[in-house]
Amino acid sequence: MKTTSIGGEATSDWSLLGRIARKDEVAFSALYDRYCGLVFSTAKRILQRTGEAEEILQDVFYQVWCRAERFDRAKGSLAGWLLVAARNRAVSMLRRKANRTGELHEHGVMLGVDMESHAAQELLLDTVRRVMANLPDGQREALECAYFEGMSHSEIARKTGQPLETVKTRIRIAMDTLKKELS
Amino acid sequence: MTNSEHIRDEELELYALGGLPEEEAAALKSHLASCGECAMKLAESRGNAALLSFAAKQEHPAGTIKAELMERIRANREREEHYAWPLPANHQKDAKTQGVTKPGDARLGGWWNWVVVPAALALALVSLGLSWQNRRVSQALEKQRQATQALLHEREEAEKLIRILAAADTVTVKLAAAGETAGSGVVKYNERMGAVVYSAQLPAAPAGKSYQMWLVPVTGSPISGGVLEKGPRSVGAVWLEEVPANTAAKAFAVTVEPAGGSQQPSGAKVLVGAT
Repeated sequence: MKTTSIGGEATSDWSLLGRIARKDEVAFSALYDRYCGLVFSTAKRILQRTGEAEEILQDVFYQVWCRAERFDRAKGSLAGWLLVAARNRAVSMLRRKANRTGELHEHGVMLGVDMESHAAQELLLDTVRRVMANLPDGQREALECAYFEGMSHSEIARKTGQPLETVKTRIRIAMDTLKKELS
Repeated sequence: MTNSEHIRDEELELYALGGLPEEEAAALKSHLASCGECAMKLAESRGNAALLSFAAKQEHPAGTIKAELMERIRANREREEHYAWPLPANHQKDAKTQGVTKPGDARLGGWWNWVVVPAALALALVSLGLSWQNRRVSQALEKQRQATQALLHEREEAEKLIRILAAADTVTVKLAAAGETAGSGVVKYNERMGAVVYSAQLPAAPAGKSYQMWLVPVTGSPISGGVLEKGPRSVGAVWLEEVPANTAAKAFAVTVEPAGGSQQPSGAKVLVGAT
């Protein structure tokens, strides 16, 4: 994955999105190259199946192509939306398979960090992995079950044998730790 | 929390992950619909949660996926352009009313019209011919592009198959008949890659039923390894299926299931083999 450079100049997500709204395939291709790995890896981690992850990847980016003009910069980050959309769709697919229900929303995602460049993405990879590796086992397990397996807190409580409030507390503390490390 | 109180940050973090019980989530949703401040904080919480994606093992999708996607958006654009092509009704009307040729106007141009009109007609015919030719070339190119993509996909599948079969940690499991149905099969399983390659010799499945392959893990429920459907990859051919990576298998089995397969095995075992 590389920082997108068109005509030798790095291009911001919003600049690419503006061009995608005018049906510019080069800009779409550049945006895809920038985030396809992250979107695909998120879906693959959740679904554990390449084919289904590829399906999510294509759907998320196809939606960007079809609705580029409707994305509102004031409502948040495009990169954040891509990740949340991939995660929520993959989790919904997982829940459908397990006959579980649950509505997930992806409207409005604000990112407090930059991830448009390759270097920024590498830095985030290092930081998030380090934080996850240093979390106590119980916190890490609760967070992974919630984010990557789309489990409700009650389901996590049943799986881990911990009281519901303990599960919530673990997730909250883990998220606080992540935020502090990234701020 | 009452509807007039702001939602606590911790609750927003939990809501952003989508794991709150329905009644709690409904109460927050109701407040969020009318509170811009909390909605903004929720957007930040979603952003924080989204960063967990970086904890996933980073993988790159196959190049064919992008090619397919680009093809899909190109088709979408062409479709939109196609539907947008006819001029709006008022535009057509304007073109008629603003046209320069009126009955008797030929006199205004004099002899010049005898040159311009046939030339315009000839140009129109040439344009029509070129447009037709262009359309044929585009269609031919499109067919070529699709054929290339299909070949690339086939090559990737073949390469994947070779990688699995050649891997040192791929194990072979022989399947033998488990009931009255005569048959046999072979499974090649690579736990690290999460790949099951198998072939089976079985009579045609009973009407309204399908044969389905199962990986029986050391712990947990059986995992589907796909349905042995009729067609080019039917019984006697080779199937390549993905299962969650790093799943220790203790056995493989083929069962008879309702057509299209089941979430969990429900029918009679016809083939089994322990690892």
